[in-house]
Amino acid sequence: MLNRAVHAVHVHKQLVLLFIMDKDSAESGLTWQVRANQRCYHKRQQKKSFLGLRWGRCSDNQVRSYKYSVLTFLPMTLFEQFQRAANLYFLFMMALQCVPIISSIQWYISIIPLLLILSVRGVKDLINDMGRRRSDAEVNSRPCDVLVSQSFTTLHWKDLCVGDIVRIHKDQTIPADVVLLCSSEPHSLSYVETADIDGETNLKSRQALAATHDRLTSEPSECLLANFDGVVFCEEPNDGMYAFRGQLHWRGERFLLDIEHLLLRGTVLRNTLMAYGLVIYTGADTKILRNCGKIRAKRTRLEKTLNRVVIAIMVFLLLAVLLLAIGCAVFTSRVMIHKGFLSALVINGDPVYTGFLVYWSYFMLLSPAVPIMLYVTFEMIHTFHSKFINWDLEIYWSQTDCPAQARNTSLCDELGQVEYLLSDKTGTLTQNRLLFRQCCIAGEIYGDSSARAEDIEPMDLTWNPFSCGGLYMWAPALVERLRVQQCPTVRRFFTALTVCHTVMAQWKDDAPVYQAASPDEEALVGAARELGWVFLSRTRDDMVISEMGVTRHYKLLALLDFTSHRRRMSVLVREPEGALKLYCKGADIVILERLQRDCPHLESTEQALELFSKACLRTLCIAVRSVSETSWEQWSRTLARAAAMPTFDRNALLEKLHDEMEQNLQLLGVTAIEDRLQEGVPETISLLKQAGIKVWVLTGDKKETAVNIGYACKLLDPDTRLLEWQELRQILQSPDPGGHFHKIKHTELWAVEKDKAGVQTAVVLTGPELTDFDQRPEWGAKFMSLARQCQTVLCCRVTPGQKADIVTLVRKHTSSITLSIGDGANDVNMIKTAHVGVGLTGVEGGQAVQSADFSLSRFRFLQRLLLVHGRWSYQRISLFLRYFLFKTCSFALVHLWFGIFNGYSAQSLYETWFIAFYTTFYTSVQIFFVAIFEKDVSAESSLRWPELYKCGQRQELSGPLVFTSLLYALYASLVLFFIPCGVYYNTAVDYQTMAVTVSMAAVFTANIEIVLLTRHWTKFNIGAMCVSLLLYFICSRITHSKFLFQSAPADYLFYGASDEAFTDPVVWLAALLTAWTAVLPSMTFQALDVIRTVHDKHKVHSMSHQPVELRSQCKRKTSLCHSSFTINQGPV
Amino acid sequence: MVKEENESPNRPDNTAFTQQRLPAWQPMLSAGIVIPGFVLIGLAFIGIGVALLITSRNIQVLELDYTGTEQNSPCFQCSDPDQQDCVCTLQFSINSLFEGPVFFYYGLSNYFQNYRRYGVSRDDGQLYGDLSYFKEPYDQCEPYRFDRNKRPIVPCGSVANCIAVYTFRLFQIVNGQQKEVPLDGKGIAWWTDYNIKFRNPTVTPLRNAFNSTAKPLFWPRPAYELDPSDPANNGFINQDFLVWMRRAALPDFRKLYRRITEGDYANGLPAGNYSLEIAYNYPVLSFSGRKMVVFSNVSWMGGKNEFLGIAYLVIGTLCVVMSVVMLIVYAKFKFPEED
Repeated sequence: MLNRAVHAVHVHKQLVLLFIMDKDSAESGLTWQVRANQRCYHKRQQKKSFLGLRWGRCSDNQVRSYKYSVLTFLPMTLFEQFQRAANLYFLFMMALQCVPIISSIQWYISIIPLLLILSVRGVKDLINDMGRRRSDAEVNSRPCDVLVSQSFTTLHWKDLCVGDIVRIHKDQTIPADVVLLCSSEPHSLSYVETADIDGETNLKSRQALAATHDRLTSEPSECLLANFDGVVFCEEPNDGMYAFRGQLHWRGERFLLDIEHLLLRGTVLRNTLMAYGLVIYTGADTKILRNCGKIRAKRTRLEKTLNRVVIAIMVFLLLAVLLLAIGCAVFTSRVMIHKGFLSALVINGDPVYTGFLVYWSYFMLLSPAVPIMLYVTFEMIHTFHSKFINWDLEIYWSQTDCPAQARNTSLCDELGQVEYLLSDKTGTLTQNRLLFRQCCIAGEIYGDSSARAEDIEPMDLTWNPFSCGGLYMWAPALVERLRVQQCPTVRRFFTALTVCHTVMAQWKDDAPVYQAASPDEEALVGAARELGWVFLSRTRDDMVISEMGVTRHYKLLALLDFTSHRRRMSVLVREPEGALKLYCKGADIVILERLQRDCPHLESTEQALELFSKACLRTLCIAVRSVSETSWEQWSRTLARAAAMPTFDRNALLEKLHDEMEQNLQLLGVTAIEDRLQEGVPETISLLKQAGIKVWVLTGDKKETAVNIGYACKLLDPDTRLLEWQELRQILQSPDPGGHFHKIKHTELWAVEKDKAGVQTAVVLTGPELTDFDQRPEWGAKFMSLARQCQTVLCCRVTPGQKADIVTLVRKHTSSITLSIGDGANDVNMIKTAHVGVGLTGVEGGQAVQSADFSLSRFRFLQRLLLVHGRWSYQRISLFLRYFLFKTCSFALVHLWFGIFNGYSAQSLYETWFIAFYTTFYTSVQIFFVAIFEKDVSAESSLRWPELYKCGQRQELSGPLVFTSLLYALYASLVLFFIPCGVYYNTAVDYQTMAVTVSMAAVFTANIEIVLLTRHWTKFNIGAMCVSLLLYFICSRITHSKFLFQSAPADYLFYGASDEAFTDPVVWLAALLTAWTAVLPSMTFQALDVIRTVHDKHKVHSMSHQPVELRSQCKRKTSLCHSSFTINQGPV
Repeated sequence: MVKEENESPNRPDNTAFTQQRLPAWQPMLSAGIVIPGFVLIGLAFIGIGVALLITSRNIQVLELDYTGTEQNSPCFQCSDPDQQDCVCTLQFSINSLFEGPVFFYYGLSNYFQNYRRYGVSRDDGQLYGDLSYFKEPYDQCEPYRFDRNKRPIVPCGSVANCIAVYTFRLFQIVNGQQKEVPLDGKGIAWWTDYNIKFRNPTVTPLRNAFNSTAKPLFWPRPAYELDPSDPANNGFINQDFLVWMRRAALPDFRKLYRRITEGDYANGLPAGNYSLEIAYNYPVLSFSGRKMVVFSNVSWMGGKNEFLGIAYLVIGTLCVVMSVVMLIVYAKFKFPEED
């Protein structure tokens, strides 16, 4: 009783306090208020919506990526579909057909295809949406432990509410943005993996406030946590991933909160048994969800061409219809105003009004020329093409049971037109698997890098209980030295490897598993483990190491961390014996200048460095220094003083301090790590280059690494000249970049290669330099025109955002298709930006695949994806597009010419049923099969002659040729009308017979054209052809039959017409002549093509294909690639 | 194999279809096929063209224009639209035997029977003999749906209304005497039209079906009295009516009027002088039309049609010319000039 009263007073007090605090927090911009353990309060604030109205402040923790509900599906899908011009056009058409006075054809003629299109799209959208709902439900029902009345209960993610206290277990994904209150680890440290957010696989540490750590972990936590009544004031939800501002008000004190205290939704808790946190932002308010922009719908270049063509057709039709309407008005006034048999039919006696009505009638009559069915068929064909990609065994990776996947089914034809390939390096060109291949200790080289890693015979390491494989090095001499333990330099070298790093060890099945910020470190520590120097564990200031079975503790005094500027890292340790040692590793240039004088083995080590870098290995120098107690004491005092200084001064001082310490080093040796290329990468790149594709590499790695990889994967030739920023800047600043570039190419720098014609150039850029492009937008175009002449462009040290900027740059200044390929979350942005995004299924998060249009398992599968699938798809679709336009236009435009002969009265030349069936039954299946099965050359030939690919880049089949086919259609429509017209003029042949003749000729024309186009006759093609032709005759007989006529005389007026026509030789002769004349231009063109290409093919066949020579990089100038690698922070 | 599938559930099927390896016939075209192909097709077309032209040339045609726009025309008097029941006579002679069976057409030009609103202005239900449509004709028949007294018009609509009810009588002048040539008006319409599409209502006598309906405005007689000579040839199945109701394709057209197959003229019209008596009752000058009669005999390809034969010849020749061009192109590529 008393207790409750006290509590009430307490609550009251706190509310007053809150009110006061509320005010000044609001002033500082911290307006988001979260009260711990006050579920009811926050529930009331949750966003609710009803009939489109929304209120409430914070969102709930539910993911809603679906678009439709039962009620909204129909209106929304219809709304979306009618945004497409052609659909709207046909809806309008249907409305017109309901007006009897202008209806020139029956209403069912356009409702059939329209309904078909709407339902196909609708069903497809519905299925996609169901999939989204399913995946949403999966995320929403993930479990998480929430503190509900004194104890933790497992709830679903979607039930989580702001102000809840949650418990997160090891390896669980964090369900919302949470302020860390305490954890099971000392100092309430917790580690999170952010791979799903930024692609970085290294662990990041987060620490709770000291206050909450101290007061919440002392007793059984649930009780304490349940009584936790702190209030957090912080920013409104925003998308800043790397910043957070807030205050915790608790027990009358204020504590500052920043991003270090925040666990973000989507990250995974690692190396921490349990963490407790207070939920701050949920659902749509979380930083990750605020960050995931909407996926842009990608439209292909062909689709854009198609839209342009459709609009062009519509404009043409509008003009033609206008002329016809004017013709009608003139005809009406000239002929009909006089007394005559037709005069009574002039509506209201007004020729202008009649013309107006005829305008709409013609509008309808010519509407089949707008290829509405094209869109649906287009989608179906695309679906098949993507299925073929999914089904292809050649790009199925059996090791991980992973087939290629076309995630976006509408981009297949873009694959056949790619001109710029922008590739990530790590994990894409390389395996992201670093192997310790060689080392040089005390001037002596161990291991051999000339053999392939797989071919190396593994050493016998059974004496080492910690060995678990993974060392590709053959150096029995080294093992011998280690086991005998005589050579102190070798021992020091390996101690350095095991001590000087930031790797963390995790124990799994009695073996240490290393988790490192960079794969380089992991490789080094792993190699040391194999050779008996095992890093066992670390705490904040202690490292445990087993040296050939002897466990030793090193006290960690200071860690001089790696930065890209310093390019080295060091640790200062107190050895078990008590001596102070500084171990340092870093890039050769940095280390070599810090060595003590007269360092032994310097010359031989430098030779080894040269040798390693020639073999494209990443090198790292290892050095050591003994530190005296006095200097350490002095140094550490200064360091402690520095900690209290303001940030800017502190950094400068720290740098000086670090520099002071890392002097007079004694060189121990050099490590050489191989950054393994994925198999087939050089061959693929050389093939793609032959196909006219420009391959650019965008990487977060350093310049040297990128250049080295460039050589290794044949992107750069041994004699390629590298154009760096200084020169590039000069060129870009000069008024005539082209000329300047030319000049530079022929300066004395080039004197050596002057005799060599067409010497190659490559541009190497780094991220900071790229920022200049923002300030000088005019450089973009200059740069691109320059880059077009270069072999390749390498961009190093670029952020994910800059990767996307480069893609945008290419897209903006060229009309070419770009393709981005990458495997990590850092590539997501560029994958989304490029025309086509390809994700590699690799070790990193899988984010790239999620947002990619295509996913592959290997980089080398790209050659088949582009040169075979892409090329075929492009060929097939442009063939299909051109044919479809031809058949619909040639068929519909006949009415233009017939109009002249029927007083512009919008009289149809076809039976209405024929109009309905022509596009759907008589001519669609054949072209559909052609668009699926057609192959102009086999897959093997497309890979053997990559030059064939260039046809897509030049848009040979989809650009002006589309308009040519429209002209051809116009010609065919002229023929289709005027030959029968000539035959039947001034004869006793009636309208219906002529209609049958023209329709027969139209069907014949369409089918002969298909025969001319098809190069690859499968049984389906032949079958479809025969069935369609048969269908024409059968359907004509059916729609002209007695039965149908008797059931509805007004709808089946053509009864008897086909019986008469099909037995009349003149009809057949006229139809055949018409069809033949209509296809004659295409026939002649093809025949000439055959005659011409016989010659060309000869040329193609005689061209020899040279195999890619793999190991030629040793020829190049060593100064360029004198590599100097150090611990890099993983791919940025 | 089964085990393997279990181990890798994502492995795509290895079928000819999924791997795009369907067996297919890939015709390898070459100049050796293409050029002779073109020549052959060209020759075939020329052959057809020649055959058609010869057939067409063998058909005798006699065209007589009787519009009467010219002063010297016998029908000049009648071409005045105000004239009623005008009869004019056209004299002509045949120099040699006009081989039978002779078809007798009437022709109209610049007459847009294919005008859309004209074409739909008919009631197929009515013409099918459905009495319910006699009371309420199809609304597309406007303005020929009801007469001034609001009586429904049967047959309604523009097509029926404008029927060119001609009466021609053909005489051979033998020794100054006019000898009438018998004209056969049976079976000039399509079988389907006569037997199925058009039907009289099953009311006897026929005229009762037309009670309380009006005849089309332009018609001199109601539908059930179209042919006074043959009671069976009345109503909607009157042959002339059927021929008229089958719309012409183009504004210049002919329609079959009669056939000359009987009596002395079964083998054709002998050489001699003839006179044609025309009841001129259809003014065409208002739409600058022309009227004519045509006598023609027919072959397997119907009436005379020179266009088809010439078109075949032209296209055939074009193919041959094309093949010559191809040959030149081929030679240029095969033996480049540098040799």
